[in-house]
Amino acid sequence: MDTVTIRHLRESVALLPMENSGAANLFYGRLFELAPEVRPMFNREIGLQAKKFSEMLAWIITNLDRPDELSSEMRALGGRHGGYGVTIDQYAPVGSALMWMFQHTLGDRFTPEMEEAWLEFYAFISFEMERGARETSTTRAHP
Amino acid sequence: MNSPLFRNADRQARFLRFVVDSALHSPESSIKEFDIGIAVYDRRSDYDPRMDPIVRVEAARLRARLREYYEVTPPEHVRIEIPKGHYVPVFIPVAGDSTPSDSDLSVLVPPFRCLSADPGDQNFCDGLTEEVLHQLAQLPRLRVITQSVAVRLQETDGPKPQYLLEASVRRAGAEIRLTLHLMDLTGGGSTRFSNIYQATINNVFTTQEQLAEKIRRDISAALHLGKRATRASVS
Repeated sequence: MDTVTIRHLRESVALLPMENSGAANLFYGRLFELAPEVRPMFNREIGLQAKKFSEMLAWIITNLDRPDELSSEMRALGGRHGGYGVTIDQYAPVGSALMWMFQHTLGDRFTPEMEEAWLEFYAFISFEMERGARETSTTRAHP
Repeated sequence: MNSPLFRNADRQARFLRFVVDSALHSPESSIKEFDIGIAVYDRRSDYDPRMDPIVRVEAARLRARLREYYEVTPPEHVRIEIPKGHYVPVFIPVAGDSTPSDSDLSVLVPPFRCLSADPGDQNFCDGLTEEVLHQLAQLPRLRVITQSVAVRLQETDGPKPQYLLEASVRRAGAEIRLTLHLMDLTGGGSTRFSNIYQATINNVFTTQEQLAEKIRRDISAALHLGKRATRASVS
């Protein structure tokens, strides 16, 4: 990932209202509108889930210039999500909800360059998560 | 579509099928985000892509999937690409034998230098480099080597590129000036071709595409090459 993309990602997250997991709550609200079928996969209280999401976002932003660590964490996350029954197709509404969260919260401050950076980055992390899910399911099938 | 990369990715497979079918059946037509939303993601007719960017999200993921697919499974006949900012796929014929022949020329294309402090200009330079790489890859008998591949070749003592294509980009308002040098590395770094290109940015993608096409034509002429692929219509 180039430095300009990293900068756009960091700047956009810095603009998000993170207190009380505000942005993360919006994200989950939107996700459940777009894909109500994923709601039962979240068995913990949604406020706690939103807090977890905010912490993960903060960790990702801190580690953007450490692609190996990022990759390995995303694969592990994907492996866990695979275990919850998340399918590849469900990464699409998650991405859409994520973009919507930025657009809805930041309005015009979410520039086309920031959106492009997030599209590229989400393709990367979701792909790593898919890879993690594939590896985990292979391990489960052939322990 | 039988690859593990697509087998469990139904929507991504449908997305690819939809854009390929559309391009083959109506090569002159553009493919709109809205149409993909309706046809592939079952959105209703009041769907607003600004509020639900699912197609843009999935297009970025599909580009990544295709890149990975071709890395694992080099194409025998045609490689499909969906250029950034478009939904119309490009079909790039692959030479019968994808193994580079001894008579092939090779050119190293490092990222174009952006001579500006404006971070937006860096994006333009990066996009232009990508577009030029794509255009040059269509030329026969020319192996295009990116910076990252060059590093790998160096580490593995692989073949060294014969040519180096360097460019720098300056901007003043909407005016762009690109200075390009093609250096012959086997001839002690002497300049084989050099030119200055000027353009006015109206639409970023169109400007990048037009500049890249001019550069491809000039490099083809300078190295006495022809063209091997055509771009399907671009929206």
